[in-house]
Amino acid sequence: MKMIRQGAKPISVLLTISVLLISMPHKSALAVMVGTETVLDVTRSQEARDYLNQILAREDVQTALVAEGIDPVEAKARVDSLSDAEVVSLADRIEQVPAGADALGIILGTALIVFLVLLITDILGLTDIFPFVKKHS
Amino acid sequence: MRRIGLGMLAQVLIANLMLAGCGGTLSKQWPGPTEHLPIRHELESVPFYPQEAYQCGPASLAMTITWSGIPVNPETITQEVFTPSRKGSLQSAMIGATRRHGRVAYTIRGPDAMLAEVAVGHPVIILQNLGLSWYPVWHYAVVVGYDLHQGTVILHSGLKSRKSIRFSIFDRTWARSDYWGLLVLPPSHLPATATMHEYISAVLGLEKARQWRTAIEGYNTALGRWPDSLSARMGLGNSYYALGDLESAEAAFRKATRRFPTEGSAFNNLAQVLWERGSQHEALEAARRAVYLDGPLVEVYRRTLEEIQAGKP
Repeated sequence: MKMIRQGAKPISVLLTISVLLISMPHKSALAVMVGTETVLDVTRSQEARDYLNQILAREDVQTALVAEGIDPVEAKARVDSLSDAEVVSLADRIEQVPAGADALGIILGTALIVFLVLLITDILGLTDIFPFVKKHS
Repeated sequence: MRRIGLGMLAQVLIANLMLAGCGGTLSKQWPGPTEHLPIRHELESVPFYPQEAYQCGPASLAMTITWSGIPVNPETITQEVFTPSRKGSLQSAMIGATRRHGRVAYTIRGPDAMLAEVAVGHPVIILQNLGLSWYPVWHYAVVVGYDLHQGTVILHSGLKSRKSIRFSIFDRTWARSDYWGLLVLPPSHLPATATMHEYISAVLGLEKARQWRTAIEGYNTALGRWPDSLSARMGLGNSYYALGDLESAEAAFRKATRRFPTEGSAFNNLAQVLWERGSQHEALEAARRAVYLDGPLVEVYRRTLEEIQAGKP
């Protein structure tokens, strides 16, 4: 917004204001504003994808995948091809898995990795364990 | 299908993980006195409203909304939540009524979350089935305290205030609603167990219920904890806009564009506000920037740009 020059005469200030008032459109449809819900949905699916990619990049996950004969690159490609709704649902599922540090910390860590490996093999269609994983033909 | 060979332990653990993930009626672990919670806690400031026939929903809401700072009585709320044909209050109606009174409705699940909330002084509305699975009798009550030593929760329930119930008995009836709980909070108070996405969704609920001022407060609360949330910042701008406070809307969207210089939606909404405030030149710049940044919503940005260009003197 160009500032009115210092020392501008009052009349030009008035003119500027009245021009602004005349050309001010009345409140237009909110259709051209991006709604908060849209932003939330888009950010959520992006966060979910980042989260899944982080997990797949983990050394222990990759080792476990390779040990099961799965190419980590292939696994990532498959996860990338999931829809927004599917990645969000998947990320939610993984977040629910108890992986906190307690007396059973080490064992739960292993369980989490095994869970993830099975999840990925399910996505790849090599296993059929989890009912919430949709099978792609 | 190739079978993957796994150790017995791993298989058992996976089975447990699956069941937990499915949210079935497997009963949850209730913490003993050694967990990271105060041994006992009781909320003194939650008023008690005895329910009349079938009106446990309105009574529970009246108690918690009043506790949260807005005095209401069950009669006022009854019309908003009570559905005579179903002789009760649907969970969605409870949430809707909470929002219409300008309070954040935040759902929680399970004993850990519920106890954590009560421990910081938040009463929790819970839904339990006091009947049978094939003949349910749904009932809302308000948790106002617990005692880990005795293993009890304290409820305002039915006609009784401060009713003590053992965890094991309470679990049986609460499990049937999948451990559903509802927090009714002023927009300045975060739940103890708040997560970013869940909390911002809850504030979005206020925005959708057209509670602009409380939504603004809620988004600010969210930004206090999660300053890097694009959704909260956009929500703030959108709520100011809806309220008619274009100056504050502009400030919010400007801040969004500075923090998220690759977000077309921030520039788009800024453009719209600038245009309405009469800053045509800047509006055009912002709209063009949005289109340039592209993204899944680029068609919306194009429309904004076209409108601004058409309106140009």
